[in-house]
Amino acid sequence: MTDNGLFNNDWMELQRRYWEGWTDLSRKAMGLEKPKTNPWEAAMEHWWQAFKPAAPDPSKVFMDRMLEQGKVFFGLVEQMTRGLGATGAATDPTAGWDVLNKTLTGMQDAFTGAMGRGMTGADDDNATQRLLGFWELPLDNWQRMMSTLAPTPGDWLRNMPHGPVQDSLHRVLSAPGLGYSREEQGQYQELIRSGLDYQRALTEYASFFSQLGVKSVQRMRELLTERGDTERPIESARALYDAWIGCCEDVYAEEVSTRDYARIHGRLVNAQMALKQRLSIMVDETLGAWNMPTRAEVRTLQDRLQETRRENKRLRHDMDDIKRRVAAIATTSGPAKSPVARKKTVVRKKTVAKPDTP
Amino acid sequence: MFPIDIRPDKLALEMQEYSQKLAQGMQNLMDAGDIDAGVTPKDAVYQEDKLTLYRYQRTGATVQRPVPLLVVYALVNRPYMTDIQEDRSTIRGLLATGQDVYLIDWGYPDQADRSLTLDDYINGYIDRCVDHIRDAHGLDRINLLGICQGGTFSLLYTALHPQKVQNLVTMVTPVDFKTPDNLLSAWVQDIDVDLMIDTMGNVPGELLNWTFLSLKPFSLTGQKYVNMVDLLDDADKVKNFLRMEQWIFDSPDQAGETFRQFIKDFYQKNGLLKGGVQIGGRPIDLKQITCPLLNIYAQQDHLVPPDASRALDGLTGTDDYTELAFPGGHIGIYVSGKAQKEVTPAIGEWLNQRSG
Repeated sequence: MTDNGLFNNDWMELQRRYWEGWTDLSRKAMGLEKPKTNPWEAAMEHWWQAFKPAAPDPSKVFMDRMLEQGKVFFGLVEQMTRGLGATGAATDPTAGWDVLNKTLTGMQDAFTGAMGRGMTGADDDNATQRLLGFWELPLDNWQRMMSTLAPTPGDWLRNMPHGPVQDSLHRVLSAPGLGYSREEQGQYQELIRSGLDYQRALTEYASFFSQLGVKSVQRMRELLTERGDTERPIESARALYDAWIGCCEDVYAEEVSTRDYARIHGRLVNAQMALKQRLSIMVDETLGAWNMPTRAEVRTLQDRLQETRRENKRLRHDMDDIKRRVAAIATTSGPAKSPVARKKTVVRKKTVAKPDTP
Repeated sequence: MFPIDIRPDKLALEMQEYSQKLAQGMQNLMDAGDIDAGVTPKDAVYQEDKLTLYRYQRTGATVQRPVPLLVVYALVNRPYMTDIQEDRSTIRGLLATGQDVYLIDWGYPDQADRSLTLDDYINGYIDRCVDHIRDAHGLDRINLLGICQGGTFSLLYTALHPQKVQNLVTMVTPVDFKTPDNLLSAWVQDIDVDLMIDTMGNVPGELLNWTFLSLKPFSLTGQKYVNMVDLLDDADKVKNFLRMEQWIFDSPDQAGETFRQFIKDFYQKNGLLKGGVQIGGRPIDLKQITCPLLNIYAQQDHLVPPDASRALDGLTGTDDYTELAFPGGHIGIYVSGKAQKEVTPAIGEWLNQRSG
């Protein structure tokens, strides 16, 4: 280890003493009432908050992501092994299974409860929150992606009221516009309708995934049963985490290959596009009112320009081809002969002298 | 037997080691420096709009074969995947077999490129690159190697310009876009592509990233980063990981009109199998492809399932059709050590037997 800048030998020694201290603390804590927050998660978070200010900016985002996944890893292992140490599961499998089944059922209940209140809740401890949040990954990915494409935050529609409130809104929106601004009213109505449609599609998409969480826990239960029956126990935290990931991916792959998911996915994308199109139309209307170029106009010009360029390139290609053929002909037919001298024909124009004017 | 056998002290040690690796690995992360995009020296020999045609510099004293090879990559993702690191470079492997390698870099389309169609790409850009190489070498025909969507483009091009292609290689190329195990195809059937393109113009690279990550979200956005901690103590492995990471998220936008036609005619209508594809008003007939054809596919490919590529057998008019199966995935066929030992030498040998 070099002795340059922050990460020198002293820093590494500090790291080592830090982790040894946490190890001692965790050994003392084992067997006592578990804290709400996984001590390893807390330790990792504490370490990162202490050293984050010193890390270069590009690394911070990357490390945040790695730490987040590390916390999911720790949280899952803590969740799954909660209480197993006290039961002596190795010597008393029945007691161990009692605890494990309670844990798995609790996880399924957490997913089921989360479906009602929108996934993670404040009542869940950190480990459960991370577990539930894990199944929000696909939805989270969608919202991060849409945030990069929209001027508004990607999730602003997620918590819009739905159900009876939406129905009332739809009734209000179906009322026709009146008067001089009838068209404008109609556009705003369409915009709100598109927003509601997108919100409905997003809710449907989120519900789909929350159901998969329940199925993934069941798949994990089956896997653990099979491992117990075949006497191939899981012997490390990483293997436990990998087994959970495998169950999640298997359940996910089965469900997203169905026609139902394809329809839900298609509805989500189409609803988002319809909303964006509505916004674009209204932006264009405003720009046009300000006598500024609109997107529609720019696109028309782009299409015409591209057509012209296409034609030009085709013509140039044809011309080059013709030049090559002419050159080939000139080469194969030998040097050009001298032109035969042509006898020049002279045409004499008969002139008549004009009479002198008096 | 109880299925979980993790002793508390062993668990504590594992957690401690994980955290320590993460902390100690920060130095390697911050020392990684700039991530290069492609390692083999090359020269830009032709440029048009955002496209650059590169010719790779010869390596060593290998005797160069007389017929040059043009690599046509997909529009999705960036072509430096084929040259990502010194010991995992398909380009270097091809150069080592004596190929004179050219590659089309499509660049990064922006909204000014929205109106580019498949005709512009195939009968325009690719054809002009082929003509440039033919003129430079004084040849009537060159060899073509298409990768993924680039392979589909190469098939379309060869069907329209068979007189310019001596040998054709397709790698992980979709031909049948509606095999039952094709998730991407299943997802796209219900998407209103016209609405999408009319709304957005170009298709953003971020949308494609999301789609690809959605194929295996937990592995690709979660587990991968937990696994990364194990290699943080090796500076070379960190750099290689960061190279892949850069490539995965380096997705160019897709020219709108090209995307529209590609999704509608191929993914939704499965045009290469069902017929009806037209490029620039000219119908596509794969039977016009009569040159030797090597079709390589990856057996664990989740993006282009093997059956999607193997459907090419019997569709063309060639009597010299060869298939090569690689036991790996869509990306592994380029970056795995096994691919360097098996795939690129096989391509080189196949081409050398047919290129004089």
